[in-house]
Amino acid sequence: MVRKIVVKTFIAAVLILLYLPIVWMIVFSFTGTTSFSSWGGFTFDNYINLFTGNGANADKIQEALLNTLFVGFFVSLLSTVLGTLGAIGLHAIHSKKIKTAYSTVNQIPMINSEIVTAIALALVFNLFSATFKISDGSWGATAFKLILAQTSFCAPYVLLNVLPRLQKSDNKIYEAALDLGCTPAKALFKVVLPDILPGIVVGALLSFTLSIDDFVITKVNVTSFETLSTLLYGLKNGKHPLPADIRALFTIIFFIVFALMMILYSPRKKSAKD
Amino acid sequence: MFKKFLALPYALFMLLFVLLPLVLILVFAFIDATDGSFDLVANFQELAKENALGKVIKNSIIAGFSTGALCLIIGYPIAYFLTKKEFNKKGVMIGLFLAPMWVNFLLRMMATKAVFNVLGIKLGMGAVIFGLTYEFLPFMIMPLYNTLLKIDKSFIEGAGDLGATPTKAFWKVTVPLSMPGVLSGLTMVLIPSVTTFAVTEIMSNGKMMLLGDFIYSLKADSLNMAAAISFVLLLFMIASMLISNKYDKDDGKGGKLW
Repeated sequence: MVRKIVVKTFIAAVLILLYLPIVWMIVFSFTGTTSFSSWGGFTFDNYINLFTGNGANADKIQEALLNTLFVGFFVSLLSTVLGTLGAIGLHAIHSKKIKTAYSTVNQIPMINSEIVTAIALALVFNLFSATFKISDGSWGATAFKLILAQTSFCAPYVLLNVLPRLQKSDNKIYEAALDLGCTPAKALFKVVLPDILPGIVVGALLSFTLSIDDFVITKVNVTSFETLSTLLYGLKNGKHPLPADIRALFTIIFFIVFALMMILYSPRKKSAKD
Repeated sequence: MFKKFLALPYALFMLLFVLLPLVLILVFAFIDATDGSFDLVANFQELAKENALGKVIKNSIIAGFSTGALCLIIGYPIAYFLTKKEFNKKGVMIGLFLAPMWVNFLLRMMATKAVFNVLGIKLGMGAVIFGLTYEFLPFMIMPLYNTLLKIDKSFIEGAGDLGATPTKAFWKVTVPLSMPGVLSGLTMVLIPSVTTFAVTEIMSNGKMMLLGDFIYSLKADSLNMAAAISFVLLLFMIASMLISNKYDKDDGKGGKLW
């Protein structure tokens, strides 16, 4: 019994430490004070200001939010298309050598230090802009660059989520569709895609989350392009790190990401059981 | 046949944005920025001249090992007890420990800094280690939990039947069998923690630098020098990848996908 109480206390203590800063921020998103130390009365103003554009950082927030969502959407789209097609192709390839090559290359963005990945991408973008004489700096060019950079570490996650679905699905149905006169492309859309859809959805949501979360690759590779992460980083030297409207914004994002994760992890648990 | 070609766009993309960048690190690490010539040592000599580097390496070693040790000391018991149903009903608890991974790390650091300010805790090495442990604890718990969960319970029961006390069975059976998890946990904490960028800056009020911050600061003056130091880190990364892959194979039914 004593053992059980000690263990539970230990678990609770670590959990409290893990969540204290976040909970503190959420609580203080309902008050207008600049610092975390004094409570200035309960208010929804921080949230209302977000939607009316009246907060102290309103312009920056709007710009960062739009940029982040724009890039996140296209990273998710591109990663999902590349990763899904990659998984279908890889599943059909039987050469052991090619499979090992893929799995090794896939591991690289996951294991590599973010800063090394970021420097490596900076080198490649320098090379491309020098070779193709691309004049850098426009909003579109910057967004495009960022989308390519982030897709490089998101696409492998899509592939890894789709592949197990393919391994479970029955290839005979696809072959039967071909025998019955389907073109390979049609059979793919009508038979294979519905079967692996859950894996694709998880991969797409995961890419989106990874994209909006990214800081290091963004900071190293693009300048004068505000995202939610760079916005936070820009506030680091302030005396009070998280101003009122920023707290409200990130409280909302916290709950959206939390909901996304609930969706992501519930189908996986089911599949783990069968 | 048709299906196989669908992998081509992915292969091409990975070639351009994952493999080529790594090759460029290798190339630029050995190109002298001043005259563009191939030079095996120029960038490394330049690096050695950087006054800050010695301190950065010293701080990185202290912060990295402290973070690794703390993550292991806190993460091992957590992962161990959570494999028992009485502490982890329906897997909710483990979810709670892994969930912070999905909250933007800058946000967590800024919030921690704000809380530290309120509580009057001084920023500096201690705060940096706290921040890094905070960020990387889930990455230690995850592999440990997976490894501990896979251990065959009959080994532990067998040890008990043969007269080992539960404590002895834990140290002689559970701990050795969980070593692959410890190793891959350390892989996911040691190098990544010293190469994170911004945590140190936030938690030390800009007074300290670890390797990640240092590489970022180099980027402005010389991408070649940044490539040189990245190259060294890559070697470490490849070594740790090989070690943990070796143990993955030994354990057989690990999370290997193909």
